[in-house]
Amino acid sequence: MDLSRVQKELKDCNKDREISGIGIEANGGDLTHLSGTITGPVGTPYEGGTFLIDVRLTGGYPFEPPKMQFRTKVWHPNISSQNGAICLDILKDQWSPALTLKTALLSIQALLSAPEPDDPQDAVVAHQYLRDHATFVATARYWTEAFAKRVTVGIEEKVQKLVEMGFPENSVRKALEIVNGDENMALEKLCSG
Amino acid sequence: MEEFDYLSSGEEEEDCESLDGIESDDQRWTSTSLSSTQVITEESLLAAQVEDLHRVMDLLTVREQHARTLLIYHRWDIDRLIAAFVEKGREWLFSEAGVTMVESRNSASSWSSSPIMCEICIEEVPPNSVTTMDCGHCFCNDCWTEHFIVKINDGQSKRVRCMAHKCNAICDEDIVRKLVSEKNPSIADRFKRFLLESYIEDNKKVKWCPSVPHCGNAIRVDGDAYCEVECTCGKQFCFSCSLEAHSPCSCPMWDLWVKKCQDESESVNWMTANTKPCPKCNKPVEKNGGCNLVSCICGQPFCWLCGGATGRDHTWSSIAGHSCGRYNAADKAKRAETDLYRYMHYYNRFKGHMDSLTLETKLKASIQEKVSIVESKNFGNKDYSWVINGLYRLFRSRRVLSYSYPFAFYMFGEDLFGDDMTEKIREMKKNLFEDQQQQLESHVEKLSSLLEEKFDEFTEEKIRDLRMHVINFSVSVDGLCLKMYECIENDLLGPLQHAIHNIAPYNSKGIEKASELPIFQDTSANLKSTKITGANNALPRASTTNEKRATDSSQPSSSGLLRESSSMDENICSTRKRSRKDGRGDTLIDLNLPTWVVDKNGF
Ligand SMILES: [Zn+2]
Ligand SMILES: [Zn+2]
Ligand SMILES: [Zn+2]
Ligand SMILES: [Zn+2]
Ligand SMILES: [Zn+2]
Ligand SMILES: [Zn+2]
Ligand SMILES: [Zn+2]
Repeated sequence: MDLSRVQKELKDCNKDREISGIGIEANGGDLTHLSGTITGPVGTPYEGGTFLIDVRLTGGYPFEPPKMQFRTKVWHPNISSQNGAICLDILKDQWSPALTLKTALLSIQALLSAPEPDDPQDAVVAHQYLRDHATFVATARYWTEAFAKRVTVGIEEKVQKLVEMGFPENSVRKALEIVNGDENMALEKLCSG
Repeated sequence: MEEFDYLSSGEEEEDCESLDGIESDDQRWTSTSLSSTQVITEESLLAAQVEDLHRVMDLLTVREQHARTLLIYHRWDIDRLIAAFVEKGREWLFSEAGVTMVESRNSASSWSSSPIMCEICIEEVPPNSVTTMDCGHCFCNDCWTEHFIVKINDGQSKRVRCMAHKCNAICDEDIVRKLVSEKNPSIADRFKRFLLESYIEDNKKVKWCPSVPHCGNAIRVDGDAYCEVECTCGKQFCFSCSLEAHSPCSCPMWDLWVKKCQDESESVNWMTANTKPCPKCNKPVEKNGGCNLVSCICGQPFCWLCGGATGRDHTWSSIAGHSCGRYNAADKAKRAETDLYRYMHYYNRFKGHMDSLTLETKLKASIQEKVSIVESKNFGNKDYSWVINGLYRLFRSRRVLSYSYPFAFYMFGEDLFGDDMTEKIREMKKNLFEDQQQQLESHVEKLSSLLEEKFDEFTEEKIRDLRMHVINFSVSVDGLCLKMYECIENDLLGPLQHAIHNIAPYNSKGIEKASELPIFQDTSANLKSTKITGANNALPRASTTNEKRATDSSQPSSSGLLRESSSMDENICSTRKRSRKDGRGDTLIDLNLPTWVVDKNGF
């Protein structure tokens, strides 16, 4: 794998994180397993949510596509409501080495704005999207509220718990922020460095 | 009769030309080298491909790799490619297949001597280590190489696309080969191999020989795909379905037949048709004729039709106190039973002729022995080709006869054409066909018995007699086979609604042997002699088929036999009767040789 390219990509991507709403962090020193975050696009049921995406790179990256999967539960026709698998052509046969992790995450963000229910990953959601759009919007919004806005919910308890385990509070807060409040992932991150 | 005439003249020269009296017309005899099927070996694969490539290169004035990209996209179907070109134009044809041509190909990298930024690895690289593809996209060589290797390992050699996002262009195969072989020669070889084999795998005119273990050859058929061919390895097969040669059975019929024969369900049906569990003790009870009241060995009587326990009092049409209403009705079991008997009828005959064929194949050695005994007797007529030719005629017609049974099973059964004919017409056609079949059958049996005669003990007079009979029966058997094929094509399959049932045409000379495609080394020789040499080279090869030629080491080397065996070779390497190409010459050269080879040899 082209490590120097991945490092450059990480640096480049996080430079304008505030504007793009896209971020990528390495889980510790492991450059094959990354965590991406995207903010829900304005004017969609995903607005206000922060979605965590698990990114795994094979040895062939960037000549093979990165494997991406939602860690945050999301209600969307092209994303599995069960396991977060994403149905997106550029993550499959349309991948090109000229694309980057950032462009891939941006494409996922665009997918949140413009679902393609004709090529669904989740048939149930797609069916609802087409037949009962109002319910679809309500459900998607509810899921965003319930799962994508957990960052501050009970965050202090988690900080407390991790600090008690012996990690400095600064690192704990930073780790929790990166992993979107996921306690286990934060712990994993703190342990690996 | 014509045969009788020359027979009575007693001249040797005529004998060796007319052989068994079947192949008497010279036209067909010489056309043996005009094979429309060719063997493509590992060595000739390149030549076969080059020929098509050059046609497209000449037609569209493109470089070889673009011709290949176009041909792969159009599955090596030049006609389809030309049609697309005529219909939609050059530009559309190219962009659809991923061929892009930028006029100033070297400009991107040559105008600058300063480092170039590769957008894949995000590194600055010197201008001499980047490559610009035809589409104009430029990346560093390391990245290209890596990309190619990933695609080749992924099995996408035939269409390696450019690395740029949304660029549909297919990468220049020369660049792929060059860059990959610098890093990993074995992967470069695989790439080359994939491109070569695309000619076989993506080409509907070419099929791998189905031999197991695989002989490494493929067969190209320039005419009708419904034909039967023999590879130089000896494997005979139906080109259309790659199963064994099965005419006059159609491919779908043969497929069904093979499955039916493997299927144990027939015997399961038999069991259900012939036994029923006793309602009291559950033991299977067999019904052997008689009325529908059966008794188990436990003593329980029951109704065969519904399986219910009954009393003993009954008549032919009713059981006292039992009224299932089915006692007299036509029932399913009965039907399964009839179906099974029907199948057995056809299967037994199919199998019977196959078995005879196996036995007759064994006859060959003993017949050759007899021939050498008679030859030593110094009779006036020393030509015994009629014996061997008669034997081959027997093999071929035995085959036809055997496969005509599965054909008839489906043709006149309910499975395939239940709705295509009225009962009356079906019956009529069936009688017509069975008439022909029986006639062929009796002639084949007669020919078989003639060939089993102990002619090595015969007088010259008696041998002459036998010879006449063998020749006559050979001729009539050949004619009957042809008639049967014509009847099947024109009267039986022809009028059907669904045209999926096609059969390979009758080939009087047996299954066509594919000729070897000339390869580069041969091209210094005269084209015609190359072809003939090719045919002779194929002669001594081991063959697993029934139509093996007389090449055993026990074969006496008398001049008579030698002449025979070479004639036999011609005899078997035959074109079909319904030749799809007539005349020799230009078409042959065009079809079998790459253009530059033809040019080089001044054709
Ligand atoms: Zn590069
Ligand atoms: Zn390109
Ligand atoms: Zn073969
Ligand atoms: Zn077939
Ligand atoms: Zn019983
Ligand atoms: Zn009775
Ligand atoms: Zn009954």
